[in-house]
Amino acid sequence: MKRGLITWDKAELPPSVFEARLARARAALVEHDLQALLVYSDVWRSTEGRHLTNYMPYWNRSLIVIPREQPPVLLCGLSPRVYPWIKSVTIFEEIRPASKLVPTLLQLCAERGWTQLGVLDLPRLPHEVFLPLQASRVEASDVKLDLTDDAELAMQRRAAEMAREILTIELPKGVGLTDYQFSGLLERAFRRAGAEDLVLLFGTSDSAPRPARGAMLGDKYSVAVALEYRGHWARVTQSLPL
Amino acid sequence: MAERGWDSILLYGNAWRKDPFRSLVNINFSGDHALARLSRSGEISVTFSDPWDAEIACAALQPDFVKAFSPGAAAIAGLEFMEERFVAACGPLPVSATADVEELRRVKTAEEIEFIKQACDLADRGYQRFVEVAEPGMREFELVAEVEAFLKTNGAEDNFMLIASGGTEVVGMKPPTERKFKQGDSVTTELTPQVNGYYAQICRTLVLGEPSREQLKAFDIFSEAQCAAQDLIKPGITAADAARAQNDVFRKHGYGDYTGAKYTRVRGHCLGLYPDETPHILEDIDYVLKQGMVVIVHPNTYLPLSGYMVFGDTLLITESGNTRLNKTEKKLFTK
Repeated sequence: MKRGLITWDKAELPPSVFEARLARARAALVEHDLQALLVYSDVWRSTEGRHLTNYMPYWNRSLIVIPREQPPVLLCGLSPRVYPWIKSVTIFEEIRPASKLVPTLLQLCAERGWTQLGVLDLPRLPHEVFLPLQASRVEASDVKLDLTDDAELAMQRRAAEMAREILTIELPKGVGLTDYQFSGLLERAFRRAGAEDLVLLFGTSDSAPRPARGAMLGDKYSVAVALEYRGHWARVTQSLPL
Repeated sequence: MAERGWDSILLYGNAWRKDPFRSLVNINFSGDHALARLSRSGEISVTFSDPWDAEIACAALQPDFVKAFSPGAAAIAGLEFMEERFVAACGPLPVSATADVEELRRVKTAEEIEFIKQACDLADRGYQRFVEVAEPGMREFELVAEVEAFLKTNGAEDNFMLIASGGTEVVGMKPPTERKFKQGDSVTTELTPQVNGYYAQICRTLVLGEPSREQLKAFDIFSEAQCAAQDLIKPGITAADAARAQNDVFRKHGYGDYTGAKYTRVRGHCLGLYPDETPHILEDIDYVLKQGMVVIVHPNTYLPLSGYMVFGDTLLITESGNTRLNKTEKKLFTK
């Protein structure tokens, strides 16, 4: 789960990066004659929303709404008490509480006179969001966006470098430990370095990589690290002997 | 299934909501999706989207997971979280089995209770570690790293954890920031380690240094509220009763305004394969609590006396009352 450091370093990812990404999203809206783009986001599926707004929910689910001409709006399942923090790490200026996502979205559509929305990857919307949206008077159509740009690749490279560097240093330390003990050691190293989330899998000669289960690692093993650094995932696998 | 007329149930899990799947097949899968199919005759088949999960479980692999679903699927637990493309592959709109399966999950088996007890023990030891390592000058995320390392070393599969630090300006918990702890800070956390799939939780507040009169007064209110609910909870009591018992204490002390959604979320919740299981402990939830349910009661809220404060323990509802599963001392921690 995301319980590490969630932050926005504007030297690393300047606001201009997000302005360019929003411009691309808005160009797609113009191309398809749509009034706003909807992006679903939850604790597991946050990459698309993070790319466009730097929003990375640690819990709950949200809808990101990107109008053609106005600033983005976050419809948020989290408590308003954390909105100041959300605003400090994202581009959002407007956040609306949304314990029920679709009714809040439909209210926003009614306020702004929207009848045609684009939905980023519509077939992947959760059923409980898709169903009431489909039943509403708002027409939703699937929109695809290329989420690759130089800043995205640079951050993913940074995440991969971090994973490789720490794993190279720590990997030999697992000899003689259980996978539980070694995962504790890796958690400390990665999270102190600023990892936001971490998934560790341990492989041995008789098992595919799997979550820790209290097994001894011996002197031949592999570790697959899926690391989330400021919303950017990298997966690196290394084996011992190196 | 016979009562509902279902020939089979699908239990779906994804990386965030593994719980419907794990309620039948308790495998901690690491890929994106997993699906179990239970027939009325009791046959179980399992499909994963990730090859490593499939290999470890000796189960079917379906990288294009939409093909794991076929028209005519009966009832589905986890239907609400499923991507629409999966639902569409089931043909005419399938029936949700989520509420029925969640109700079955609420009363724990002896084995499940044992796992939750192990998770409680880990939560207690994790909090002890939290207190040991927290110190002025340390950053919030560094403390989380230390606690996370401890929990994983001692067998936690996962952990849900929030934190906050500071004074009366703190209105809620969130993920850790780069803020450095200061002398006099109130440091709040909820730790929720997961053992063999099952979560248990502890909520405590630590003051770095000598607590102020206001912090002590606030803690007395939180303690009285938590005890009021713990003393009350037994089979037959509703979630609303347990919430009201806590909120009445705040009202009695003149802080009733701080029991609403502006300052707090819930007065507790159930625990199990998901760290925030329903029913939530709220004054408008009339669900009747049963023997064998596991619930945390935590009157966590903001008070102008102290800022946001937390205090709560995991309780197992027994035949005539409840047993507190956490062993951590019920006090305002200081260091």
